[in-house]
Amino acid sequence: MTALTLLFDVLIPVIKIAAVILFPMVMVIVLIWMERRVVAFIQGRLGPNRVGFQGLLQPIADATKLFFKEDIIPREADRLLFNLSPVLVMISSLLAFAFVPLGGPFDVMGYTIDPWIARSPVGLLLVLGLSAIGVFGIIFGGWASNSKYPLMGALRSVVQVLSYEIPLGLTVLTVVFFSRSMDLVAIVNNQKDAKVWFGFLLPFSFLIFWISGIAETNRAPFDLPEAESELVAGYHTEYSGMKFAFFYIAEYAHMVLVSSLVVLLFFGGWLPPFPNVRALAFLGVLPGFVWYLIKIMFFLYLYIWIRGTLPRYRFDALIKLVWKWLVPLALLNFVIVAVAWYLL
Amino acid sequence: MAFKEIELNMGPQHPSTHGVLRLKLRVDNEVVTSVEPVIGYLHRGMEKLWESQTYAQIVPMTDRLDYLAALSNNLGYVLAVEKLMGLEVPKRAQYIRVALVELQRLASHLAWVGFMANDIGAMSVLLYAFEDREAVLDIFEAYCGARLTVHGIRIGGVPFDLDETVAGMIRRVLDETPKKLADIEKLLNDNRIWLHRTRGVGVISAVDAVDLGLTGPALRATGVPWDIRRDLPYSSYEDFEFDVPVRTGGDVYDRYLVRLEEIRQSLRIVRQALDRLPPGPHLAKVPRLLKVPPGEVFHTIEAPKGELGFYIRANGTERPERVKMKSPSFINLQSLERMSKGYLFSDVVGILGSLDIVLGEIDK
Amino acid sequence: MRLKRTQAFLQKIFLLDILQGLLVTLQHYFSRKVTVPYPEKVLAPAARFRGILRLFRDEKGEPLCIACKACQRACPTKCFEIEGARPEGSRLLRPTRYDWKLSRCTFCGLCVEVCPTAAIRFSREFRMSLVGKDHLLFRLPDMYLEGEDLQQFLCGGCP
Repeated sequence: MTALTLLFDVLIPVIKIAAVILFPMVMVIVLIWMERRVVAFIQGRLGPNRVGFQGLLQPIADATKLFFKEDIIPREADRLLFNLSPVLVMISSLLAFAFVPLGGPFDVMGYTIDPWIARSPVGLLLVLGLSAIGVFGIIFGGWASNSKYPLMGALRSVVQVLSYEIPLGLTVLTVVFFSRSMDLVAIVNNQKDAKVWFGFLLPFSFLIFWISGIAETNRAPFDLPEAESELVAGYHTEYSGMKFAFFYIAEYAHMVLVSSLVVLLFFGGWLPPFPNVRALAFLGVLPGFVWYLIKIMFFLYLYIWIRGTLPRYRFDALIKLVWKWLVPLALLNFVIVAVAWYLL
Repeated sequence: MAFKEIELNMGPQHPSTHGVLRLKLRVDNEVVTSVEPVIGYLHRGMEKLWESQTYAQIVPMTDRLDYLAALSNNLGYVLAVEKLMGLEVPKRAQYIRVALVELQRLASHLAWVGFMANDIGAMSVLLYAFEDREAVLDIFEAYCGARLTVHGIRIGGVPFDLDETVAGMIRRVLDETPKKLADIEKLLNDNRIWLHRTRGVGVISAVDAVDLGLTGPALRATGVPWDIRRDLPYSSYEDFEFDVPVRTGGDVYDRYLVRLEEIRQSLRIVRQALDRLPPGPHLAKVPRLLKVPPGEVFHTIEAPKGELGFYIRANGTERPERVKMKSPSFINLQSLERMSKGYLFSDVVGILGSLDIVLGEIDK
Repeated sequence: MRLKRTQAFLQKIFLLDILQGLLVTLQHYFSRKVTVPYPEKVLAPAARFRGILRLFRDEKGEPLCIACKACQRACPTKCFEIEGARPEGSRLLRPTRYDWKLSRCTFCGLCVEVCPTAAIRFSREFRMSLVGKDHLLFRLPDMYLEGEDLQQFLCGGCP
């Protein structure tokens, strides 16, 4: 009995760590494939469909190619920072996943397993903080390249990410009003007890969070830092090979992170939909993790769909949007929710 | 803290300079203070080369000038030679030429809409526009066997008669294109980001536009109703009914709207040309080896990019003594600085896109 | 005017312009795809397609070319080098050398138009990638297509 317990105590954390690293990685691979296929379908093309089933192994083929590419460091570059920045970007987006639960606790052979590495009473803050560290990687990368286009891309990126943190934080607070906790697991459990997902209680919070989330991840229509038609490739113009792949993977991992957060905060995490409709009770048959994945996939699809549709903002409009619209709206939303919460 | 003014080299390998154009920009906090286009990366010495070619051999070379509108170049050159020779072109050939050139304008404007939208970031529009352009290129392939560098007009007429299969293909495009245009308009016309990126950007006044020699849709977007097809008709354009779209804003958005409307008018002209196609030969009797009487001539046409002119001096032999072309892209490019001064660096991309330049024509 | 402004304002507040765009792209997502997976499915070129130039024979299998060099004179890029000789017992000139340089050809079609015997015509071969630079030079035997190939690539639109 003790041997088994010991086994569980050692083995399970290892498996959990592996799962937490694998989850974003596998999602990134699927996402890169999905992005290329979905954008192709939107544009009336077929997209990559040769490598593996329906082209699913295409991202792996691309990564292999990048792995064997020459690693070029510009002569005038600051070598330390140049090498450091992809690592920093990668670490920040992977580390945040340590605090993201992958599902509710479940039992295996009488042993309760929590599918997360760390549960913290301020998990939400930690996730947001860790993901924001990536901006250092971007500014280091842009500056260390010693080139004009990367520098401009990096400057834009920093301004953009820092500005959009504010509405993001303000909307997160409205969720905290309802959940009375910054613990991501508790937030989901609260939605279970409340029998309604916060996204339906707080639609404006969700909308502002989602728009800011797109901007945070530098995705279209806010993809100015890497606006191809202006800045060539933005802050990673001078990078090649695996370092470039790091930036690329980190960006996609960040997208997965934001989607996970949206699902956890506003759409009930791993809870099945319609828990109180008796006729749809069979939806609960699927394990929570599957529901979680389905919801994340939906938001990732939304990301790609938006990218395939909209033109790109200009920089001044982007800043105007956040300071003149999103921040006041988020504040107003915050006050209204606070008053409503107080009166109820 | 004031940012030092920096010099930025855009191109010749930049993704949105539409080829091998290099722009030397000076930007002060992303605000453009000067733009200097550096051209010549695609120079092939066309005008000098033509002095050693016979008149008929020059026609396929004009394909390579504005390669998005090869037929318009063909027509411009061929009309100049015919004017010098005093050659009467059969009416049927003239109508077929009009249909082909208007289809070419359609293809060129569609490609422009796609590239422009791609520069601004709406990448799907590029593919939607190219679907239709592809259909037009299929028509060219069926008509004369090539898609891009078509060589589809000869001195004295057109190489092939317009048969039923080609006419059927053209009619299908005439029916399909408005639907696709509606999709593009739904995606862009009301879109707030598109409006923000194009409206009030790259404004040029009508006076400045005329002073700088701006021609084509960019000129008509400033409010100058100058279209050679209507004002100095050639190749039987006087037989067709069409409107010349004019807008008064002079900004990128108006250039976009003018071009979209021109696509519609082109469809109208093609339909009329098909319906009224007169019987007769499609090629005048022209000797195999053309000898053009001595003299000089200048003839302009309304190409998709603007006013395309050819000056030819002939000395009575089978080769021209001198050919000089007035290429619209080359002349339109000089208004870039006037348009983009004081706007943001990101706008230069949109303004450059809105001019619809082709480097093959600028560098010759 | 007032109504129009309210309408524009409402459109802006409810993101109608953006939703409209999203709807268009969604429709295209489910629509038929226009591209073709190339090596598996090859679109046939048009009948008049200007592919690789070929010399043709008449019904009896006699070569049509009479080495008149009209194509050589008409060519703007000097693709051809032709030499002819009169075989014994024949009153027609026949080419002894007929070099066509694919590397120089622009497929303008002037040679095809001037040929008095319609000997040189376009085929519909559009796959022109070759393994070496010397393969870009087509000599007299290379210019003829034999048997089934001839039918497959026969130019349909030539006069």
